[in-house]
Amino acid sequence: MTIEKISHSQKKNVLHGLPEKVIFCKRCVMSNQRPSTSPELVKKSSKIDTVHFDDDGICHACKYSDEKKKINWKQREDQLVELLDKYRRNDGYWDVVVPGSGGKDSAYVSHVLKARYGMNPLTVTWPPHRYTEIGWENFQDWLRVGGLDNISFTPNPKVHASLTRLAFLNLLNPFQPFIIGQKNIAPRIAFEKKIPLIMYGENQAEYHNKLSETQSPIMDRSHYTWDGERKLFFAGIETDKLSEFGIHKKDLSVYMPITESQALETGIDIHYFSYYHNWMPQENYYYAAEHTGFKPNPERSEGTYSRYASLDDRVDGFHYYTMFIKFGQGRAMNDAAHEIRDGHITREEAVALVQKYDGEFPAKYFQEFLKYINITVEEFWITIDNNRSPHLWDKVGSEWKLKEQVC
Amino acid sequence: MEAKGTGLLAGGPRRRIIAKLEVKGPNVVKGLHLEGLRTVGVPEVFSREYNLQGIDEIMFIDTVASLYGRNNSFDIVKKTAEQIFIPLGLGGGIKTLNDVELALRSGADKVAVNSQGVRNKNFLREIERNFGSQCLVAHLDVKKKNGSWIVLIDNAREVTDLDAVEWAREVEGLGAGEIFVTSVDKDGTMKGADVELIQSISSAVCIPFIYSGGIGRPSDVTDVFLKGGADAIAISAVLHFNKTTLKEIRDEVSSHAISIRL
Repeated sequence: MTIEKISHSQKKNVLHGLPEKVIFCKRCVMSNQRPSTSPELVKKSSKIDTVHFDDDGICHACKYSDEKKKINWKQREDQLVELLDKYRRNDGYWDVVVPGSGGKDSAYVSHVLKARYGMNPLTVTWPPHRYTEIGWENFQDWLRVGGLDNISFTPNPKVHASLTRLAFLNLLNPFQPFIIGQKNIAPRIAFEKKIPLIMYGENQAEYHNKLSETQSPIMDRSHYTWDGERKLFFAGIETDKLSEFGIHKKDLSVYMPITESQALETGIDIHYFSYYHNWMPQENYYYAAEHTGFKPNPERSEGTYSRYASLDDRVDGFHYYTMFIKFGQGRAMNDAAHEIRDGHITREEAVALVQKYDGEFPAKYFQEFLKYINITVEEFWITIDNNRSPHLWDKVGSEWKLKEQVC
Repeated sequence: MEAKGTGLLAGGPRRRIIAKLEVKGPNVVKGLHLEGLRTVGVPEVFSREYNLQGIDEIMFIDTVASLYGRNNSFDIVKKTAEQIFIPLGLGGGIKTLNDVELALRSGADKVAVNSQGVRNKNFLREIERNFGSQCLVAHLDVKKKNGSWIVLIDNAREVTDLDAVEWAREVEGLGAGEIFVTSVDKDGTMKGADVELIQSISSAVCIPFIYSGGIGRPSDVTDVFLKGGADAIAISAVLHFNKTTLKEIRDEVSSHAISIRL
């Protein structure tokens, strides 16, 4: 694959299907350029759906956080107990699947289900591309200290790296293969082990999907099943055409979603724990530290100020960095927006944090990332610059500058 | 200076018990390993309460000043100084001699300096020259790594390659009047102090040494003094969460014939 440099002036003004006018939420600093979560396997290009804003300039995640204040959490917990009673087994078999990596959120959900609600969880892990030292320790402690069963499924690392390479080059979305696998592995294990209940952590609406999606505790099946016929795309490439890149049908089975009929046959439903309990990542951190031995990163992650989120994968920084290039919003903005909504920081503090850390280059594992996806430094930067949308980026001298910054 | 850390000199010099209030905006927060910003109350209430219970000193640490590049805690110190007449310290985001002056004018008796001292050693020397070593506390956030401890800055968000014990010796030479060391591994855990760290620091420096991190029971404080040899202990979580009281700590510590203010 040869990569041609596209001159900035020859690009369309707006790439990736983004809104032309940049707006930052008046309350939480989030940009309207942020993608919302949607099924990956139907994406033919880097075109994405973006977060929802109302005319008042406030994003739906903030609107949802207002709604959350009105929720009767006691009632929601009663609903949870009712749900768990329906699925709870007394024959010793697992009665709930909890997907996770041993980060603070999955550690919290799985441990609470076991310790407070007497469930027998089977945790399921789609491991990071490359564990960080602290990520590996936390994964092990999650099971050892937390006392949990786990299935960790490692996809063929060669195929995984090839798909990641293609997703980087075609979509500037190197995390797409990981996200696909992570999404589909728990339903697959649930189907194979005949465990109908899957418990997720937070609803995507906590992170800017439509407000209407928060009304139900159940994830729409379209996110993790298919009809068995529709064309699917990896890295924007139709599955049949992947053989040109040395990736064949047999290499992909573990990434494939289960079919709708398989989901129905087992009665699989994914519930969001955040529907039943007020979801506060920071509280999950304190809980996980106390109950599963979770430890924060020894230093902050590049691109943000946080030490407790998304720290187990050495190539993780490139997920956030490529987001920053494509959408002009990075990791610090994600973290700060959520912390504003949870009442931990003010908007003024968030602006300072975003200005200080957003878009910081993940230098620490750069060489490792290049080697991992087998591209050169030149190929990396050409791909990066090709994906800078002119409505977001200006080149001033030799430096790229965002046209709009949160203030 | 007397020998420390042997436990044989119980009694000896008077040891101090300091309340550490980590401040963010108008609130006192308490993290875990210096991460997390759980709000636990407001500084006015804590300082009044600890003063009533007979705390020796209060150390305010603005946890986000370095992070945001500003310091908003002068007012908090000022309000406290108007009502409470024990020594007050202020740390977090002290970057210039002007910051030091503002802190002292607000009523702080001393400033604790970490990040800026690491970035510019000369800053410590300048504080000592302009204001005297009695008001300069060298503040170290340290984390265990490969059998020794490294120094962290910006509220433990950035690592440095400084060895904590060597840096402790160096800041003493640069004019620090006291040294204040927090174990990031123990911070907020309430599972006991890092005695090995305390021993290493107290045998390396002669200036008064304040330790902080991991106090969960009164006997942990005894360990800090008797086994570790620190001159003072700075306590936060265990007091904020009412897991024990100053009285219980004093009773326990003084039962080992350690000299404290009763």
